[in-house]
Amino acid sequence: MPSQVHDVVIIGSGASGAMTAYQLTKKGINCLLLEAGPNFDYSKDRQLRAVYDLPYRGFGKPGRFPHVTQANEFTAALWADEKQNPYTFDPKDPYYWVRIRRMGGKTLVWGRASWRLSNYEFKAKDHDGFGDNWPVSYADLAPYYDQCEPLLRVSGRIEKLPQLPDGVFLEDKSGDSASIARFISAAKQKGIPTTKQRRAQGTLASSANLLLPDALATGKLTILPNAIAREVTVDKATGKANGISFVDRRSKREFHVKARVVVLGASCLESTRLLLNSKLASSSGALGHYLFDQFYVKNTVQAIVPEARNGKAPGGLMGGTGYIPRFTNLDKKDTDYLRGYAVDFSSGGTPDPKYFPYYGEDLQKALAAHTNTGFNATTMGSVLPRFENHVSIDPVVKDAWGIPSLRISARYTANEFKMATDAMNTLSELCHTAGFEMLAQHDQMVPPGESIHELGTCRMGDNPKTSVLNKWNQTHDVKNVFVVDGSAFVTGGSQNPTLTITALAMRAADYMAEEMRKGNL
Amino acid sequence: MTTFMRRRRILQVAAGLPAAVALRAQNPYAAATSGKPDELPKLEAIPPDGVADSKPKFCSGLQLAALRRLADLIVPKLGETPGAADAQAAEFLDFLLSESPADRQSLYRNGLDALNAKGFLKADAAGAAAMLAPLGKPWTYKAPAEPLAAFLRTAKADILTATVNSKEWIQVVSQRNRNAAGTSLYWTEIA
Ligand SMILES: Cc1cc2nc3c(=O)[nH]c(=O)nc-3n(C[C@H](O)[C@H](O)[C@H](O)COP(=O)(O)OP(=O)(O)OC[C@H]3O[C@@H](n4cnc5c(N)ncnc54)[C@H](O)[C@@H]3O)c2cc1C
Repeated sequence: MPSQVHDVVIIGSGASGAMTAYQLTKKGINCLLLEAGPNFDYSKDRQLRAVYDLPYRGFGKPGRFPHVTQANEFTAALWADEKQNPYTFDPKDPYYWVRIRRMGGKTLVWGRASWRLSNYEFKAKDHDGFGDNWPVSYADLAPYYDQCEPLLRVSGRIEKLPQLPDGVFLEDKSGDSASIARFISAAKQKGIPTTKQRRAQGTLASSANLLLPDALATGKLTILPNAIAREVTVDKATGKANGISFVDRRSKREFHVKARVVVLGASCLESTRLLLNSKLASSSGALGHYLFDQFYVKNTVQAIVPEARNGKAPGGLMGGTGYIPRFTNLDKKDTDYLRGYAVDFSSGGTPDPKYFPYYGEDLQKALAAHTNTGFNATTMGSVLPRFENHVSIDPVVKDAWGIPSLRISARYTANEFKMATDAMNTLSELCHTAGFEMLAQHDQMVPPGESIHELGTCRMGDNPKTSVLNKWNQTHDVKNVFVVDGSAFVTGGSQNPTLTITALAMRAADYMAEEMRKGNL
Repeated sequence: MTTFMRRRRILQVAAGLPAAVALRAQNPYAAATSGKPDELPKLEAIPPDGVADSKPKFCSGLQLAALRRLADLIVPKLGETPGAADAQAAEFLDFLLSESPADRQSLYRNGLDALNAKGFLKADAAGAAAMLAPLGKPWTYKAPAEPLAAFLRTAKADILTATVNSKEWIQVVSQRNRNAAGTSLYWTEIA
């Protein structure tokens, strides 16, 4: 029995791995899914607790997560432990790598913002000459977006914006609060479009509740938790992959599984690390290179809606959110940088005490006077994919299971810095036009990685000399190895990437199923 | 008979319970405990902060005194609303600092020493306020270059958090606002 050859072995149970499992099992293909983290049991894994009952009063154990600013004492156990899972970088260029190693991966807590890319991204080089086009166009991916949105239950509003294609939405018919309407009208005066958020509905829209249960119900999926993939193994005679060696997370016992097809969906940098450690798919020299993400300027502007002070907000003034899609450099070059940024904005809430230049009773009075008066906006800018930004295997450092760690080299460049400053100035102007009072503005990006949208390092392309994957997420070098996560991206735009990751994974699974049926895999 | 059982008996008598109940209470098994033989109820318990003094681990006596005064100025007790002193924010931060990275530790050590060098502990209200003047500057993304200003900015945030996350604060404020502030889903460590 243990020497059985599985049809497909999938690494990772997050958005990409689970979508591949969902689609393949639906087509009757047997899949074995290896997940590095434990399975979950919500009744045991999470419990309501008071912050004062925690040993560090909510601050968390100092130094436990130096690079996961999202972690707090409640969620500490959710994030991959940095000591067990080390990685390195030049201290001058810190990289904040945010990982979750549990069934469901990062989709357990993702923000669920779900946007399509357009040909402004897929064919970016045609628009501005920088970098490379994807080997797929929007038309290739549209039928898959059409299927993924209903699976994730994405709500949104039809807008007919060429840079932000509409989808198969649960229609968002909600109105706007008066403060949001004022901001939208200020944007309109400058020719800046806005729309409702597009977001997967439900507090949980994870692969573990939306995709894996149906895949299991086919009887074709076997899930193996606590299985940390170490290497893709290769049959020397054929040059094809023949399985995966993995280590049990708890006992450190070593195993191997045989497979006809290997699918990596371990998340962008983990899949690349697996390939690098396996010394596979590297003939192009592109493996590990062209790392990018979206840069974030969190709370670029923090303002106040003055009429809401002292609890005097008329009903309907405050609350609500919206989104500015990229609007620069679409039909002509209109800034001193390439491409553009998107913005999440929201009304309501009390601004953080740090914004008020007071302490003591004055501070408490200011906070009381500004309850539910806030307006803020966060910038998400596109980052140019550059060869120099890359990952490699650290020659010394290994994780707790003896698997060599990644060394990450990434930095933002003038294009991103200029864009961030432009975003700050534009948002500040819109707030003034809308009649808001500014508390603070800034253009300081969080370190690369912190947006949790890491992309590239196994990029797709038609040319095997300059890309790792072909247009089906299949490695050029080894036909039966596929990489289905964000590492396949050629460019990313300013949209959050997960919807596109799932659409690509579903499309790759269709191709795999067909090739297997034809006996090509 | 344990003291608890005795007290129970006394309470029953004092409450003038009906005869049947009093009779049942005489059955030593029925009266012995309200606990069920096959159930482990969740026992109400408290964190140590409210009942015990923590031993200072990081600050010198003078530094802790300065941190206490600073905390009291940042979040004073206002009417019914507890302040940093009620929340033992300074004592908690002393512990947190003892486990913090070196740069955080020196920010606090130098900041508290700088305040003490200016006579912070003996200063009157106006004098202390003059020393905290950097907190009156508008917020900028980058921390102020001047070390005392940088310390005060960090300390303001830490003292606020240590106070509003204390049992003393949450019990008063959540009850007043009828909300569950300070309660959240906690993820159990992976085995
Ligand atoms: C707080 C937060 C908010 C976010 N908000 C948004 C949003 O609003 N919109 C959006 O588009 N995206 C968002 N994201 C990003 C989104 O979660 C990811 O893009 C998405 O989950 C990526 O899917 P994935 O399958 O590539 O990786 P993951 O979801 O990370 O799954 C990878 C899985 O592989 C497993 N794994 C890793 N290495 C190995 C190994 N060696 N062997 C076996 N298994 C392995 C991991 O344990 C993990 O379970 C957010 C993320 C976070 C954390």
